[in-house]
Amino acid sequence: MNIATFILKNAARNKRRLLLSVLSAAVSLFLLVTLMVVLRELTQPPSDGDSSLRVCVRNKVSLAATLPQRQRAEIEKVPGVVVCSPFVWFGGKFKEDEQMIFGTIACDPEKLPQLLQEMKIDPEEYAAFLKDRTTCLVGHDALESEKFKAMGLKVGDRFTVMSGIYPTTLELKIAGSYRGTIDDRNIFFHHKYLDESLKDWGLTGMWWLRIDKAESMGPVNTAIEAAFANTANEVRAESERAFQMSFVSMLSGLKEVIAGISIAVLITLFLVTASTMSMAIRERFRELAILKAIGYQRRELFAFILAESFGLSALGASIGAGGAWALYTFADMKKATGGFFVSFEVTPHMLGTAALIACILGIASSLAPALSVSRMSVVEALKTLD
Amino acid sequence: MTPIVAIRDLTKVYERGGVTVAALDHVTLDIAQGEFLALMGPSGSGKSTLLHIIAGIDRPTGGSCQVGKVTVTELTESELADWRNQNVGFVFQSFNLIPVLSAYENVELPLLLMNLSGTKRKQLVNTALELVGLSDRAHHLPKQLSGGQEQRVAIARAIVTDPALIVADEPTGNLDSHSADEVLQILQTLSSKAIGKTVIMVTHDPRAAGYGTRTLHLEKGRLKE
Ligand SMILES: Nc1ncnc2c1ncn2[C@@H]1O[C@H](COP(=O)(O)OP(=O)(O)OP(=O)(O)O)[C@@H](O)[C@H]1O
Ligand SMILES: [Mg+2]
Repeated sequence: MNIATFILKNAARNKRRLLLSVLSAAVSLFLLVTLMVVLRELTQPPSDGDSSLRVCVRNKVSLAATLPQRQRAEIEKVPGVVVCSPFVWFGGKFKEDEQMIFGTIACDPEKLPQLLQEMKIDPEEYAAFLKDRTTCLVGHDALESEKFKAMGLKVGDRFTVMSGIYPTTLELKIAGSYRGTIDDRNIFFHHKYLDESLKDWGLTGMWWLRIDKAESMGPVNTAIEAAFANTANEVRAESERAFQMSFVSMLSGLKEVIAGISIAVLITLFLVTASTMSMAIRERFRELAILKAIGYQRRELFAFILAESFGLSALGASIGAGGAWALYTFADMKKATGGFFVSFEVTPHMLGTAALIACILGIASSLAPALSVSRMSVVEALKTLD
Repeated sequence: MTPIVAIRDLTKVYERGGVTVAALDHVTLDIAQGEFLALMGPSGSGKSTLLHIIAGIDRPTGGSCQVGKVTVTELTESELADWRNQNVGFVFQSFNLIPVLSAYENVELPLLLMNLSGTKRKQLVNTALELVGLSDRAHHLPKQLSGGQEQRVAIARAIVTDPALIVADEPTGNLDSHSADEVLQILQTLSSKAIGKTVIMVTHDPRAAGYGTRTLHLEKGRLKE
C-alpha cells in the first residue's frame, strides 16, 4: 500500500455517496459548459473570414426604417465598394405557420455569389434562379429540414410565403439550393419581385456591400455615412459583424439570466460538495485522530482531505465537461436543435474554465473539514465515540 | 540505571466556568526501561491524562516529562508528531483500526511516514503480525476479525516502527477474559528482556495489572505508592 491507495480506499468507502457526489459535480459542470456554449452561440454569431469584407448600411434612425433605392448609385461610387445589393429581411412565414426559423431575404440575385463567395450553387440552378424573378434559392440545410420535407418541397416546387413585416404574400418557386456558407438555412429571392408586389415600392431595408479589402472598412463606412448626411435618409454603415452584434446587445438580458443560472449552479454544487466532504470527514474524525497520534502531521492529513475532495471534483468535472465536449462535438447539434444553433462548439477556453472551477471547488470544499482536522486535539477526538 | 521516562512535578489543571479541576497534581515518577507498568485508580483519577502526556498527545499545565534524552513537553506540534511516530506505540480500548484497510495495511500505516523500501516495509509488517500471531489473518478486514484479533492487530501497528515505549489505555476493557489474556501475554513478551520495550498500561482490572512488573495507584491526580 502507498499513500495514494490509502486515499483511494478512503474515498471509496461509501460507494453510493461517492457516486452521487461525482455525479452531481458531473451534471453541474455539464450544465455549466452547456450554458457557456449557448451564451457564446447567442452572443457571437458564427462568422467566416469574408464577413470582415461585408458591410451593412441601414437607416440611422432605426433598424425597422427603410432606405430609398436611389441611394444605390451613390454607394457604388464610393471607392473600395466592390458590390452593392439591396437586402430586405422579409420575415417570411408559411401560411399555416406562426413562425419560420429560416431567413427569407430579398436581394439582387446577380450580386449574391460575389457577396457570399463561399456559396456553392449548381450553375444550371443558378441560371434558372437568375432567369425567373419569381424563383428563390433555398439553403441546403433548410431544404433538408423536417419542415420542408413535411411539406414535400423540393427543387422545382412552389410555395407561398407571407411576410411578417410587409403587407404582401409571395409565391416562390425553388430554383435550386446552395451550400457552403456559414449558415445554409436562408432563402434568397429577387428584390425586384418584392418591389413589384409592393406596387413599385422603391425602397429597400438595407444595403449589403462587399469591399475590396479589410483596411477599406473604416474609410468606406465613413464615406457612405457622409454621403447621406443631412438627407432625409441618413445611414449607418458598419461591418456585418458589428451589425450582427447590435442584435446581440438586445440579448443582454438573456446573458444576465444565463450568468445568474450559472452562479446558482455553482453555489449548489459547492454546497453539495462541501457537505459531502464534511460528512465524510466527520465520520472519520476518530480515525484521523489515530493517524495524528501515530505521527501523521497536520499537513499530511490536510493533503489527504484535499486530495480526496480534489479528486472527487476533478473526476466529476472530467465526466461532465468531457461529456459535454464529446456530445456537442460528435452529435449533430444543428439537427438536434432544429437548426436553431449552428456551431454549438465547446472551446478550449470553456474546458479551461470548467477545469478551473473544478480546482477551486475541490479546494474550497475541503477547507472547512481540513481546518477542523488541523485544529483537532487527539485527546478530544479520541473521546468522541463513533 | 537511568530511567527511560522521568516525570517531574507534572500538573494538569482544567478550568471550566471558574471551577478548576486538577487532573494531575504534582506527579513525580521514574519508569525504567523494560518495565511493564500498570496504572490503576478510580475513574477520573487522571490515569489517561498521565498516559497522554507521556505519549506526547497532550500537554501539561506544569512540570516536565522526559523520555529517553528528549524532553517531550518542550517539543513543537510538528516535532511531537515525528517523535511519536518513532518512539511511541499506541493501543486503545476501542481498537481504532481503519475499517477500509486490511490487517496488513493497518499495520503498515505508521511505516508510510518513514523512508523505507517496499521490501523493508513488508518485512517489518510481517514480523509484527507474526509477533501477535496473526500472520494468517493479514488480508482480513477489521470487521472480519474478532475483538481480540483486532486488538492484536492494533498492537502489531503499535510495535511495527520499533518504538521504545508502548502506551495502552485499558487495552482489555472491551475483551473477554480469554482474548484479554492473549493481549496481556503479548504485552508481557514485549517488555521481556529479549525485546526490552517499556509498556505503560492503564487498567481497572487487578488481574490485568498482575501481568505487570509494577503497579501504581492514582487518586485525584496524585500517586499513591
Ligand atoms: N477536557 C476536559 N475538560 C475538563 N476536565 C477534564 C477534561 N478531560 C479530563 N478532565 C478531567 O480530568 C480528570 C482526569 O481525567 P482522566 O480522563 O485522566 O481520568 P481517568 O483516570 O482516565 O478516568 P477513567 O478511568 O474513567 O478513564 C477527570 O476529573 C476529568 O473530569
Ligand atoms: Mg481513562
